[in-house]
Amino acid sequence: MALRTLSLMQEARLTNPTEPTSRRMYLAIATDIHFWIPLSVLLCGVLLLDKLR
Amino acid sequence: MFCGFAAGAWLGGAEAPIKLVNPEISPITVSLVMVCGVFLARWSVPALVRGTSHIRADVGQAPHLVVWAILAGCMWAVANTLTIYAIRNVGLSIAFPLWNSNSLLGIFWGFLLFKELHAAGWKRWLGVIGGALAMFAGATLLAVASSHEASPGKATLGIAAALGAGMLWGTMYIPYRKAYLTGMNPLSFITFFTVGELVTMVALAISYRGAAALWHELNGARAVLFWLMLGGFVWVIGDLFQQYATKYVGISRGIPLSNTNQLWGLAWGVLVFHELRGGGRITYEQVVGGSILMALGAVAIAMSSATEDEHASWKDAARREGERYGVEDEYVRAGMEGRAYETAASGRSSFDWLLIVVATTVFIALALISKPPQVDVGFGWAAALTIVMFTLMAACGVALWRTTRFR
Repeated sequence: MALRTLSLMQEARLTNPTEPTSRRMYLAIATDIHFWIPLSVLLCGVLLLDKLR
Repeated sequence: MFCGFAAGAWLGGAEAPIKLVNPEISPITVSLVMVCGVFLARWSVPALVRGTSHIRADVGQAPHLVVWAILAGCMWAVANTLTIYAIRNVGLSIAFPLWNSNSLLGIFWGFLLFKELHAAGWKRWLGVIGGALAMFAGATLLAVASSHEASPGKATLGIAAALGAGMLWGTMYIPYRKAYLTGMNPLSFITFFTVGELVTMVALAISYRGAAALWHELNGARAVLFWLMLGGFVWVIGDLFQQYATKYVGISRGIPLSNTNQLWGLAWGVLVFHELRGGGRITYEQVVGGSILMALGAVAIAMSSATEDEHASWKDAARREGERYGVEDEYVRAGMEGRAYETAASGRSSFDWLLIVVATTVFIALALISKPPQVDVGFGWAAALTIVMFTLMAACGVALWRTTRFR
């Protein structure tokens, strides 16, 4: 139930027409799990590279 | 599928100019100069093929993809640098198959996040997974055969670097697929991809080498800059085909097919640079066995094209992306099907011609100050492989133009 409410709140924020387009876009990216997977892998890669130096 | 094979040929061919360069230049600097060539190519080739006006149209429709493209570029640069450390620490034989595991990870992400291989049937599953595993086994054999100069030591860090590179490249396909499900043109995607690539590579090179030392090394390497940048240019053509393969057959099929680049790299190494000269029987058996396994794997994947049901799953994933980012439904559908979107502009502007002229001038200037390679090269084989590469590019280019107009 809590998850559903959260999802509905997110959906409402993403589709809110009064919010500026760029803000909506960044919010959509920030709440997209697809974004955090590559970003986490990239950060791990940078840390690994730092260890290899 | 055809794009996947052409990608393999050009990505493998990109190794050839780099082999002409003195090994005393630091790997980071080699990587940086290559990326500069990539940057020039990635702005000038799209300008030549379709003009840059469609890039503005794409960004207008799906601005969020600029962020994804830059993220993918950063990942590529870090992965590429990791492979240099992997080769140094564990040698090519262990490193290459480990980072080539990126195709298996690509299949995993494609299935999990983008509904690839959903409702595909067991025959296609067998074709894709079996093909990718056969290519992995073939890649291992080839890498073992071509690992004479590998320097062992620091094994754990080297393996971690190779696996890290594989993880980064395999995960980099998430932004790729994201862009193409939303309908973005590969020519637009790579333009922003390369910004992330160049910025990351410059940051890495300056932080590792120091600005003064880097400048000094670049100055000293003037005679070979052309060959390195040419390598970057050739790589871009291969990558462009890889992007189209990813767009139209998905990451689970496109990436394993473009991993046939190892076969082409080996062909250049053996035939043009005489790398296995004097090798024993076992080495040649490994080369033949590995090549056959890789070829069979690629054929298995090529024969497992997506069914109508699977295409319906892709469309679901595309619809989800469109809704999340507020992209017009018609734009998404037109992009997926390779059709023209009604508001898309076309033609080349004076800015496009300026990009083409600047890139060409830089390459000509560097070619004039370059020195001919002091390496024993089989020119006959080099010409033959170059003809094959250009034939594949022309055939694939014509097919892409006829079916999608490079969309």
